[in-house]
Amino acid sequence: MVRTQLLVVGGGPAGLCGAIEASRRGVETLIADEGVELGGQLVKQTHKFFGHEGFFASVRGFEIAKRLKDQLNEHVKIMLQTTVVGIYEDVVVLYDRQSDATFEVQADYILLATGASERFIQFENNDLPGVYGAGAVQTLMNQFMVLPGKRFLMVGSGNIGLIVSYQLLQAGAEVAAIVEIADKVGGYDVHLRKVKRFGVPILLRHTIEKALGKERVTGAVVVQVDENFQPIEGTEKEFAVDAICIATGLVPSVELAAMANVKIEYVPELGGFVPYRDQNMRTNVENIFIAGDLSGIEEATTAMIEGRIAGLTIAQSITKMDLSKEIESLQNELVEFRAGPFSEKVRKGLSKFFPQRLVEYSREPQTDTGPIGKLRPIIECYENIPCNPCQTSCPTGAIEVPKNINSLPRIDYEKCTGCGICVSKCPGLAIFMVQENVEQGFDLVVVPYEMLPLPEKGERVVALSRDGKQLCEAQVVKVVRFPHMTNLVHLKVPSGFATQVRNFRVKKRENVFVCKCEEVTLEEIEKAIDLGFTDYEELRRYLRIGMGMCGGRTCRASVLSILSRRLGKSPEELLKGHFRPPIMPTKFESILRGESNEV
Amino acid sequence: MRRILEHPILKRRSTRTVKFYFEGKELEALEGETVAAALIANGIDVFGETERGRPKGFFCAIGKCSSCLMIVDGEPNVRVCITPVKEGMKVQRQFGRSDVSW
Ligand SMILES: Cc1cc2nc3c(=O)[nH]c(=O)nc-3n(C[C@H](O)[C@H](O)[C@H](O)COP(=O)(O)OP(=O)(O)OC[C@H]3O[C@@H](n4cnc5c(N)ncnc54)[C@H](O)[C@@H]3O)c2cc1C
Ligand code: SF4
Ligand code: SF4
Ligand code: FES
Repeated sequence: MVRTQLLVVGGGPAGLCGAIEASRRGVETLIADEGVELGGQLVKQTHKFFGHEGFFASVRGFEIAKRLKDQLNEHVKIMLQTTVVGIYEDVVVLYDRQSDATFEVQADYILLATGASERFIQFENNDLPGVYGAGAVQTLMNQFMVLPGKRFLMVGSGNIGLIVSYQLLQAGAEVAAIVEIADKVGGYDVHLRKVKRFGVPILLRHTIEKALGKERVTGAVVVQVDENFQPIEGTEKEFAVDAICIATGLVPSVELAAMANVKIEYVPELGGFVPYRDQNMRTNVENIFIAGDLSGIEEATTAMIEGRIAGLTIAQSITKMDLSKEIESLQNELVEFRAGPFSEKVRKGLSKFFPQRLVEYSREPQTDTGPIGKLRPIIECYENIPCNPCQTSCPTGAIEVPKNINSLPRIDYEKCTGCGICVSKCPGLAIFMVQENVEQGFDLVVVPYEMLPLPEKGERVVALSRDGKQLCEAQVVKVVRFPHMTNLVHLKVPSGFATQVRNFRVKKRENVFVCKCEEVTLEEIEKAIDLGFTDYEELRRYLRIGMGMCGGRTCRASVLSILSRRLGKSPEELLKGHFRPPIMPTKFESILRGESNEV
Repeated sequence: MRRILEHPILKRRSTRTVKFYFEGKELEALEGETVAAALIANGIDVFGETERGRPKGFFCAIGKCSSCLMIVDGEPNVRVCITPVKEGMKVQRQFGRSDVSW
């Protein structure tokens, strides 16, 4: 039998924060987590968080997990690969996988922070290998760096569906489409824009009808639905994919709470069945607290705040210290975080347990796009989400998120020096920079970029629109690397395109041959043209292009059109090169034999 | 190849390899990863069969759904998504509920 003052079940953001606050006040704490490392869902989150600096805004999830672990002190014991399997009146039973044995813990207080599990949905063959939870795919690719497929279909467009889609692209996979049964995307607009500008199709009012395949997924059938979410016959579309990600929501893991006599209520706005709790995260059972996704599906920042509130309240009960000020200030933080339109559901759900307070925020968007010709940021963040790193990162105070973090950011172009810090800090990747007429006929666009390969200075890339459509060619004029991996790529685009270009595609150049005989690639030709070999004859001498066995019949036309594109000249203006016999390789032997024939 | 070799944000944590056996065949895994991750990396998606004889793979990868039960070193019903792979481990597909020893 192990004795502890506090048992924390689950070492995700909620449980860790509870343990941090309690142990800081000297409470002997034991954290049990069934995973192989602490951090819960955070360890697989590679994107930067929203929120404000006090709660790790603009820090990537897995980094947050590390920082939280570092805050645990000597009063904390950690047991990994240990599942809490039962809670009885006087004792808690744990199962340790490593020793393959159960043991008992007696705790004065219990904080349940067990998180949630992924909602499973019903469609034909949904049990086939290849149908995976979106969080599961995220675990494999971001925690273990293994991709369980090449081409994915994402079902669900909430934040998880959008984020995991983006992360799949980062890992080098393809996302065939995101399907969403509702008539609008569920997640944040800034997350949506991140995937849209890579051309990922979003199919609204669509759902998955069946997975195809015998041993594993080889495809998926998607169908349109009517107002009652019923499939419309004849609208089926088939996708050739080798994995299907289900991102249709999470369900709180209430089992332990329920067996501990905590009142479970049905609150659909919070994710279904959730335990009752008050503002201090205390349940109806005096010494049992809950926090995080278990208390209602939300996100990691609110999970951390709830965990802290629970930890402080427990410490207050045990040590009799007065921590009411700290608790109250965190409760106010929660009110702020939940003030925006995206938290409306959560507010409604929570109002079943205790009254909700509202705070005001500004809905006024930035309308001014700044002085033409100045290098300046353009903020494309139009939804009231709880986030303000743009404001706090700007060294000159040019960006303001007025009143509260749910307000829309506004920029004072007079104060802005064009340093670009806000562009790389914004977790929504929603800030770009533009400058008109950097050169005769050219504008500059700066985009935040988190993909590989990173282009090189001087490289030509394909400029893409907000929808991922090809717009024009652009030249990379500068690449600014940042230690937190959101790099800034400066693109020179033809005049007038600065308002449209928001992304680019690196041209795939490996093994793209123009001349097969001499094995000359497109990249080599483009580089040579940039070096100043600007007509066919020069290229031929430099690269041996057209000097192979086919006598240039395969490559001559291609080279001329590449020259024409690259130099902006019409094909007529270009020298077509000399034509010399023979047009087909003819052996000297044959020629000699022929000559002797004539004799 | 299912391993992500280059990533814009993440760095590889371990390059030390361990050997394990899947259905008697020797495979390579990276130290610290789960059996499920190692199998997927080796191109194995089918972890077993259900009672009805349908193929089974993982689903949640965090120990919640029990979709990934396999026989590990003779022990049935092991959730391989939260079981770290070890040198010499013997992993087998599980058919149905296997011999449960509750
Ligand atoms: C795919 C995905 C993407 C997300 N993206 C974002 C995002 O971008 N921004 C954001 O703010 N939030 C995001 N979230 C939500 C956020 O991760 C969660 O809200 C947050 O992790 C909840 O924290 P938690 O501590 O309650 O639960 P979790 O992080 O899930 O932690 C629960 C822990 O409890 C352990 N556990 C469960 N049951 C037991 C048991 N019986 N015994 C022992 N241990 C147990 C689990 O192993 C786990 O480690 C995302 C969630 C998912 C699933
Ligand atoms: S570019 Fe620099 S100065 Fe201008 S708003 Fe952004 S951070 Fe502030
Ligand atoms: S622009 Fe500001 S408020 Fe909007 S996502 Fe970026 S940092 Fe957050
Ligand atoms: S895949 Fe769900 S428990 Fe392993």
